[in-house]
Amino acid sequence: MGRDSNNRASGIDAQLVQRVRRNQWTGAVVNLAPSAFWLGVFFLAPLAVMFFYSFGERGAFGEVLLATENLGLQQYRRFFVPEGLSVLGAVWTTTAWLIDTVIPGTQSLASTQPTPYVRLLFKSIGYGILATVVSFVVGYPMAYYIGHIAPEEYQNLLVVLVILPFWASFLVRIYAIQLLLSANSVLMSAFALLPFVEQGVTLMNSRFAVLLGLVYIWIPFMILPVYSSIEEIDFTLQEAAMDLGADRFEAFYHVIFPQSKPGVMAGSILVFIPSAGAYVIPELLGGTDSQMIGNFIADQFGSAGHWPLGAAGAFVLMGVMLLSIAAYQRGGGDLA
Amino acid sequence: MMSAFRRARASLFERGSGVLLAQTAFVYLFLYLPIAVLITLSFNDSRYAVVWQGFTTKWYTALLQGETVARVDPTAAWNAFMNSVGIAAATVVISTVFGTMLAFALDRYEFPGKRLFTGVVFMPIIIPSIVMGISLLLFFNIIGVQLGIGTAIIGHVAFGISFVAVVVAARLQTFDQTMEEAAMDLGANELETFRFVTLPMIKPGIFAGALLAFAMSFDDFVVTFFIIGQENTLPIFFFGMVRQGISPGVNVVAALIIVVTMALVAVAQWFQGPTW
Repeated sequence: MGRDSNNRASGIDAQLVQRVRRNQWTGAVVNLAPSAFWLGVFFLAPLAVMFFYSFGERGAFGEVLLATENLGLQQYRRFFVPEGLSVLGAVWTTTAWLIDTVIPGTQSLASTQPTPYVRLLFKSIGYGILATVVSFVVGYPMAYYIGHIAPEEYQNLLVVLVILPFWASFLVRIYAIQLLLSANSVLMSAFALLPFVEQGVTLMNSRFAVLLGLVYIWIPFMILPVYSSIEEIDFTLQEAAMDLGADRFEAFYHVIFPQSKPGVMAGSILVFIPSAGAYVIPELLGGTDSQMIGNFIADQFGSAGHWPLGAAGAFVLMGVMLLSIAAYQRGGGDLA
Repeated sequence: MMSAFRRARASLFERGSGVLLAQTAFVYLFLYLPIAVLITLSFNDSRYAVVWQGFTTKWYTALLQGETVARVDPTAAWNAFMNSVGIAAATVVISTVFGTMLAFALDRYEFPGKRLFTGVVFMPIIIPSIVMGISLLLFFNIIGVQLGIGTAIIGHVAFGISFVAVVVAARLQTFDQTMEEAAMDLGANELETFRFVTLPMIKPGIFAGALLAFAMSFDDFVVTFFIIGQENTLPIFFFGMVRQGISPGVNVVAALIIVVTMALVAVAQWFQGPTW
């Protein structure tokens, strides 16, 4: 627009520009709009589509029926309630089965098994909890060492060494675990030297392999937050506690550990969520008995061809994630 | 009895730092041993890849000369790699710009529904990739978009924005806004203030966010797997190879991927300080 010929117009333009610039909402709207659009259209809308599908029904040829008369909670029912039981019966069966499984000894409280889907769901949650506990037990002492004992000048290097594998390819690292665990590998041959281990044994395609893979991939997410909370602790408090008669263990347990709790909680949620929702790790390292809910969901959209059931499974998994985050926030945790 | 236990406990903690050092060394071993074994085995002179038979560089030479080694076709690998780079580059550009703007909006403005919106911003990072991938697949199916590189970029940006926004927002929290006011008082307009005051100060945050978005896009397997149709990226190509079993060709490709990515990240961290 030429300045001389359109003086009046540009004067009005400038006024308008001034008004728009002064408006308190302009900045917010301009900065938010692109991301809000993208997340709305390419993240929330797809989730909504999937949510809708989870109320549908599968037709005779694997197609998805979404007419009004087909919509309902039948997929969720199929997921949670075994054939021929009421909802209440399913709750009891599942609880009894959980008690039977978690507490050793044969109580045989459950007369019938819950659905295979429910068992798979709890197996995935179990994997998540186990991976979290192992990461904590193995990672906490290390974070403590890096954050408190290691010489100041090495701290950054040690932290970078923890992060570095996380940046390197996920699949390649899973493959590396595969190399270590397969028959006749270096590690397995070393194990075979033990008296009670047979030659040519493999740990691949087992539950152990899946757990090892989960811990291997996600342990940096435990170490880093714990490290950053330990690094901020004022360790003169420990001396104070010991001056007041606590021994080293008590000083740690009552004074230091509570202060590192935010890091532990953040680390736990960061390890639990991706572990429980894992798909690739059980796919590549696990066998038929070590598949998880993620594999089930993928199967329903692939070979099993039952999209509505897969969609329902996905939203059950999302529910577990949301519950764990809610528990985390109730415990005083903060996102980010 | 009790006091003996207490003494034992305390003395364990007394000698704690030695134990902790050993433990730390063990975890580093755990993190790096598989990678070291992988790189070593890529020089292994054996068709059956896991048992050490002697040193050779013949797999590398063969692959670099374009020969297929044990089903691994280097041309296909290279194409997949180029696709990955292209997708990651596009993802970084779009999500760094949008994500930084988003971080500003979240840091500077109060608006109704902000808490909910912030939750939505975190979701792509948190939800299982399998859910994200499949829901995008359903969505593209419904609106009738042809799957390919384009849809992969769209999906990657959807989580890239969140990663960038979270990292940049963390940086903005420590940002001293009086600097901007000073610049404005001295006559700079919004754009000049942003260009000469704000941007230089938050650059490390934006750089870290961009690096994260690049790595997440380049490395993503699950989301891409569902929405890229017939095209290949490096992780998808690699997954296909791994599915068929361990072989010298896969070892070489894996070793190259891990050495190159770790070297690049190490350089980036060297310049930037630890980033996560």
